[in-house]
Amino acid sequence: MLEFLDSPSVLHGLHTIGSLTLFAVGLYGLLGKRHLLKVFISLALMELAVYLLFIALATTPGETAPILSDGLTAFVGMADPVPQALTLTAIVIGMAVLALGVSLAIRYHRLSASADIRTLADAKD
Amino acid sequence: MEFSASPVWFIALPLLAAFSAPLWTRWHLLDHLLFGVPLVLLILALGLFPTVHEAPLLETIVIAPPLGIHLHLDSASLLLVTLFCFAVTLVAAFLWLGATDSHLRGRRPFVLILLLLVGGNGLVLTGDLFNLYVFLEIAGVSAYVLSALRDDRPALEAGLKYLIIGSVAALFFLLAVVLVYLQTGQLNLAAVAREFAAIPPAMQGLIALLMLIGLGIKSELFPFNFWVPDVYRGSDPAVTALFSGLLVKAFLFVLVHLAVLIWADPAVARVWLMTLGALTLIVAELAALRQDDMRRMLAYSSLGQIGLIMLALGFFSETTTAGAFFHMINHTLVKLLLFLVAALLLRRCLSLRLEDLAGAARVSPLAAGLFVVGALGVLGLPPFGGFMSKLWMLQGFAEAQRIWPIALILFAALIEAGYYFRWIRVLYAPVAPAASADTKTTPEPWAAYAPLLLIAGLMLLLGVAPFLLETSVVEAAHALLDRDLTLQSVLGVAQ
Repeated sequence: MLEFLDSPSVLHGLHTIGSLTLFAVGLYGLLGKRHLLKVFISLALMELAVYLLFIALATTPGETAPILSDGLTAFVGMADPVPQALTLTAIVIGMAVLALGVSLAIRYHRLSASADIRTLADAKD
Repeated sequence: MEFSASPVWFIALPLLAAFSAPLWTRWHLLDHLLFGVPLVLLILALGLFPTVHEAPLLETIVIAPPLGIHLHLDSASLLLVTLFCFAVTLVAAFLWLGATDSHLRGRRPFVLILLLLVGGNGLVLTGDLFNLYVFLEIAGVSAYVLSALRDDRPALEAGLKYLIIGSVAALFFLLAVVLVYLQTGQLNLAAVAREFAAIPPAMQGLIALLMLIGLGIKSELFPFNFWVPDVYRGSDPAVTALFSGLLVKAFLFVLVHLAVLIWADPAVARVWLMTLGALTLIVAELAALRQDDMRRMLAYSSLGQIGLIMLALGFFSETTTAGAFFHMINHTLVKLLLFLVAALLLRRCLSLRLEDLAGAARVSPLAAGLFVVGALGVLGLPPFGGFMSKLWMLQGFAEAQRIWPIALILFAALIEAGYYFRWIRVLYAPVAPAASADTKTTPEPWAAYAPLLLIAGLMLLLGVAPFLLETSVVEAAHALLDRDLTLQSVLGVAQ
């Protein structure tokens, strides 16, 4: 009954809607939330939405891992490995930036007893 | 192993030096290497000019393009790499000879400044979209930490603000890269350029918009540059000298390079880039009039000059582009000089606010004198290099019979004169230096002024003898604008 979900166009459409929703949630948090950690979580959500979009749209159901092994001797019906490699790299970068951001936020909280992005925005001399 | 002068050294050498920092700390070589590494690269870059003059250098890594990744060293990127290495050498010399603050010495700034150089060099050299994203993040992360280096409240505020806005920019750029890959199946810039026209127009527009937002934030263009003065205000002036002199130039180059490569027809990109450049120029110069802190004033002035460079680059004519490259060099020199002078004044007067700097010329006459030199350089008065480069850009617009950019550039120069002379008047005000000025500390050693005097000398040299750079600047403009040549030199190797 649910076979229609396996057709690439439906699956890709669902993934696109899902990742765009995730992106919108992240964008809302980025613009609407005041706490620094919430802002960083929103950024991470937006990044995840981009990764999801990339991986989901670059693969179609039924593809196998791009590794030549027993019985698999030609690159037929295999997933494109490039998006996965790129996404891995991007996840690592995103993780590092997030860790840096959180550690800066902790230092800032210790010095100013505040984690509010608006005190940051109003910073004057 | 045989040494070959390949562009990979511009990325590999500073990266290697940065990652072996614990070793250099133990051997007390940090200062020497922070100065030495960019100096070696500067000499290498100067030595590569004759080779690149004949044909662009391509360094393929493992597999030939368009499948593998490669570095593309043509006249334009070589000119910028030389400029970046020069800027880092000067700032390193300034830190070595003059910096007394503990946070500007030692391992952390060593690693971060070298990584910033890696990022800048990588951005202009790479021929691959995803590598571009990686270098954008390398340059970004090192810049975020550099702004927060002082580890007090204003510095952390600057760092956090920069990190959040920079991550948003990187995210938009990544989304554009993802869409490009999904549409074309290519990441190599030349291959993408060849196939971009086949993408549906709506998707083309979306990709272009995402890239414009991402790179516009990074290269500090008008609607996206609200964060810049705060970050420049919170960071150390020696660090902002690198932001203004190195980082922004790299992103400007990337933006224009992508625009030229991806659009076979430059008419659309021209409208967008010139509008943004003109808006940045005029808004930033007007805002600079009202600033009471020297770092903010210099930040807005830097934004104005960036708008000017964008205006000239975005016109896509060979004369204005050559002028814009020349102006990039001059602007880097001038802003290095002004921000380093600000660093010296900050140490001397403990504040960079307008009222606290009254009469500062009595306390540190040489710094004030160099500020005047820098101000005249920004204004583009003869005999400094800025005069020649502005003249060159104006000439380019005049040849094309465009009047409004000429009027705009001259009007902006008038506003600049307004606020720079305001600051000069305050520096030379006939009052006793403010109480906060610490007159008891020993004056700066002469060595601290050596890099600044060198910059001032170079500005004068470029103003008197602009023909020294003429061929390389014209070649750079040619290399940047000639899309077919780039495509052929990259894909010709592959086939």
